[in-house]
Amino acid sequence: MTDIHIDCSINGQKRSFDAPRSALLLDVLREHGYTGAKRGCDTGACGFCTVQVDGEPVTSCVTPLAAVDGTTVETIEGLGSQDDLHPIQAAFVEHSALQCGFCIPGMIMRSKALLETNPEPTEAEVREALADNLCRCTGYKKIVEAVLDAGERMRSSPAVTDGGSEVAGERGAGGPCGRGRSCRHSPGERE
Amino acid sequence: MSTPDDPADRTDADGETTADPGGTPAADPVSSSAEKYDGRKIVTGEAKYTADYRTQFPDLAHGTIVRSEIPHGEVTDIDTSEAEAIEGVYAVLTPWSAEVPETLYSSSGQSYPEPSPWDMRVLRRHVRFVGDPIAAVAAADRETADRAARALTVEYDERAAVFDTETATDPDAPRLFEDDEVENSQTGADYSRNVESAFGGEIGDVDAAFERDDVDRLELELETPYQSHCVPEPHATIAYTDEDGRRTFITATQVPNHTRRQLAHLFDIPIRDVRVKKPRVGAGFGTKQEMVIEPITFALHLASGRPVKLELSRQEEFSAVRSRHPMSLRVRGAVTDEGEIAALDLHTRSNSGAYGTHGMTVASNVGTKAMPLYPNVPNLRFTGEVVHTNLPMGAAMRGYGAPQGHFAVETLVDEIARHVGADPLEFRRRHAVREGDLDEASAILKDGTRFVRRIRSCGVRECLERGAEAIGWESIDQPTASHLHRGVGVALCAQGSGVAGKELGAAKLFMNEDGSFSLHVGGVDTGTGNDTMFTQVAAAVLGCSPDDIVVTAADTDVAPFDYGSYASSTTYISGTAVKHAAEDAKDRLRYWGSKLLEEPESVLETGDGRVYSEQTGESVTLEEIGYEAAYGHDEREQIMGHGHHSTDESPPPFGAQFVDVTVDERTGEYEINELVFAADCGVVINPALAEGQVEGGEHMSLEYATSGTLEFTDDGVPKTVGFREYGMPRTTDHPPMETILVETHEPTGPFGAKSIGELPTNGVPPALSNAVRDAVGVRLTELPITAEAVLEALDRT
Repeated sequence: MTDIHIDCSINGQKRSFDAPRSALLLDVLREHGYTGAKRGCDTGACGFCTVQVDGEPVTSCVTPLAAVDGTTVETIEGLGSQDDLHPIQAAFVEHSALQCGFCIPGMIMRSKALLETNPEPTEAEVREALADNLCRCTGYKKIVEAVLDAGERMRSSPAVTDGGSEVAGERGAGGPCGRGRSCRHSPGERE
Repeated sequence: MSTPDDPADRTDADGETTADPGGTPAADPVSSSAEKYDGRKIVTGEAKYTADYRTQFPDLAHGTIVRSEIPHGEVTDIDTSEAEAIEGVYAVLTPWSAEVPETLYSSSGQSYPEPSPWDMRVLRRHVRFVGDPIAAVAAADRETADRAARALTVEYDERAAVFDTETATDPDAPRLFEDDEVENSQTGADYSRNVESAFGGEIGDVDAAFERDDVDRLELELETPYQSHCVPEPHATIAYTDEDGRRTFITATQVPNHTRRQLAHLFDIPIRDVRVKKPRVGAGFGTKQEMVIEPITFALHLASGRPVKLELSRQEEFSAVRSRHPMSLRVRGAVTDEGEIAALDLHTRSNSGAYGTHGMTVASNVGTKAMPLYPNVPNLRFTGEVVHTNLPMGAAMRGYGAPQGHFAVETLVDEIARHVGADPLEFRRRHAVREGDLDEASAILKDGTRFVRRIRSCGVRECLERGAEAIGWESIDQPTASHLHRGVGVALCAQGSGVAGKELGAAKLFMNEDGSFSLHVGGVDTGTGNDTMFTQVAAAVLGCSPDDIVVTAADTDVAPFDYGSYASSTTYISGTAVKHAAEDAKDRLRYWGSKLLEEPESVLETGDGRVYSEQTGESVTLEEIGYEAAYGHDEREQIMGHGHHSTDESPPPFGAQFVDVTVDERTGEYEINELVFAADCGVVINPALAEGQVEGGEHMSLEYATSGTLEFTDDGVPKTVGFREYGMPRTTDHPPMETILVETHEPTGPFGAKSIGELPTNGVPPALSNAVRDAVGVRLTELPITAEAVLEALDRT
């Protein structure tokens, strides 16, 4: 099979790939360690593999690698870290808007694309924007609440929209159980 | 302890109820919405699910399964030569391969020996549905594996097939199992009629009650469909042999210990040589309460000599793996002139599909979960029959028969209420279960009284009251348009907390010098938040913060035994095991506290990261104790705790599901305006996660009521092969949902807790049917409830 050569930027880093012409973005991402994007259906129908290409949310399982030549790709790995969460990530954690978590990276990337184009969405707009991202665990309620809250967080600290991040550990209630940035919990399960 | 003839006085396994130790209510780690233990790694994409471990195996082979294309027949030959010739193909397995055991087994992740029949083989010559695994390939990459799979030439000897339970039980119907193809210890099996099991139980005299002159008889016949788990992470397993020769499985499972045992038996290797490790799991809902793909992955590993990863496709998830059993139900009630229910009679016929995994046990729960809602009905009968067809197999799915049972019981009770002129809410308030009731219905299929239970906590009336207020039961405004009609419906829900008499959970805990603790626990977190709950339970006992508990769970080499995550058992069973382990360790904290504070242990308590004296107020930090115990001059000790838990108890959580609906009488279309669920799960451990369980359970229940079903051609070929064909509700399909947590105190549960995981999957179908009945006066008895069915029912009136 003919290989193609692709140059793109992933999370701000220049990357080059030589891959078969039929290669799909999700496969290449996962092969190269970007495993935050999940394989859920291979048909672009569940949204678990959502990443941003030039700011647009795409389902990477049906996006040819060839289509990202010369583009800027953003994946969940490019957002905040566990000690320094992006406001959308922080909102998902604080609203307990996650259970098994398999849909969450895609859900967050889709939410990011929404909030970048519509910083103050209504609930209906959030629901519309997330309609192609399925979640089996949460009933979506806490997810929608988290995205609305994330919008507010990003509006109140505009720096984050330019790629900054929000100080983590600011649990709303400041309760005794919030796992703050000083938290010692490291890999929860052994490999 | 309990005595078999005196169930009413049974106490919990400890014979006592423990008061909440440590901390003031405000700082109680149990009642707080502690941040989810794995939350940060999930939102950063760092949480690792089975397939994400690929990077650790440079020589990883990728597996794929070849499946039967016919619904019933014999595979007579598989030509593998072309596939084997493809470069990059490492192994091709058929039913005749040496690495593939011929042993009959059950895939159900149940206690041993599994009650489900042993009726399947790893790869199958006798195929019984479109999707039965007949061959498997391991290759350098997914594409090569798929190409090799397509290069196999399969020859079949096709047989007649049967696709409905009615025809299947006809003596002339094609037979799915010959006597030597199955080992089955269940009651009522008759494979000449494709009956996998039949069962029944009765309390009182139901026939006599129905013949009384002073009763009216009501009856409903109902149909429920297949439902797919739609598990976010498709089944995935990596099988390899490590440097110590240990057969190791990284696998998406709810049942690591059952799977370890089953693999050992199937491949005839010692249990000790098998290690099953559960990483993060992209949910289970029952479809991973099974050893589904581990045996094929392992056989491919044996044949290829490489680590093998097998990941199912979404199409396989919908059409070839496991689903909720479709059922036909008949429910009858006898109601007296005074408005008392004199008798209930429930029968279910379950379509178990091609294999019997969880067939009888799911069908049993149809009656034993919903009927306990009305323990004062003097005459009860519950019978069932489980029938094979040439369609995909049913299996465990969240609710486990209870959703089907609630659809029958809670629609009939609604009809009874209306028949006697009572408000359905008021009728339930009067007749439903109360604290102190003796529930025999949950044990109706059992011999003796061992599993008859006393209801020790029950918040049904508060659930009804607060739910009714939230939905606006008394004050529904009718739409102005005359063709639109609004109605409200309610359904009560019950479940269990683990399988009574068939559970075991265990945990061990050891202290680190810095005052933190490592918790090793068999309990399996499939995303619901058990690991978080475990930290809260342990912290509440030890008097530290949940942050101070490091969890290592569900790795059979490291964590102690646990039956696994199913039957709403994790908080009640595994959580209690953790509590016992923490109490064991707390005894040693008191000992060391006493040593350092020079006060008697009896006056010492733990809290706020310290051991303190209730007498003098003096205290020592856990960190000081940690260092002293490890490095003390005259005495040293590893402070540890061990705990396990098993019990005959399974206290039911209760709930009330409310649905507010508007029906268009011209089209039959309906819109759900709001869902309210009020849940009594005892003392709520982590309210935010408990709400998440309710909202997610309602999501599945909403789908079951309105949109989810699998379809097949007349030849048994699946038509529903992806999310586009299946009606899983999206963000835009969900009506507003309100969750109410009604706290009761369950004396046998950890800190007063009962279960919450399955309860909320039971309510929307009956509550929606009841709401439509309220709105337009017709009774819908077939799921999903479609606009066409509503219109048809309206046309009949």
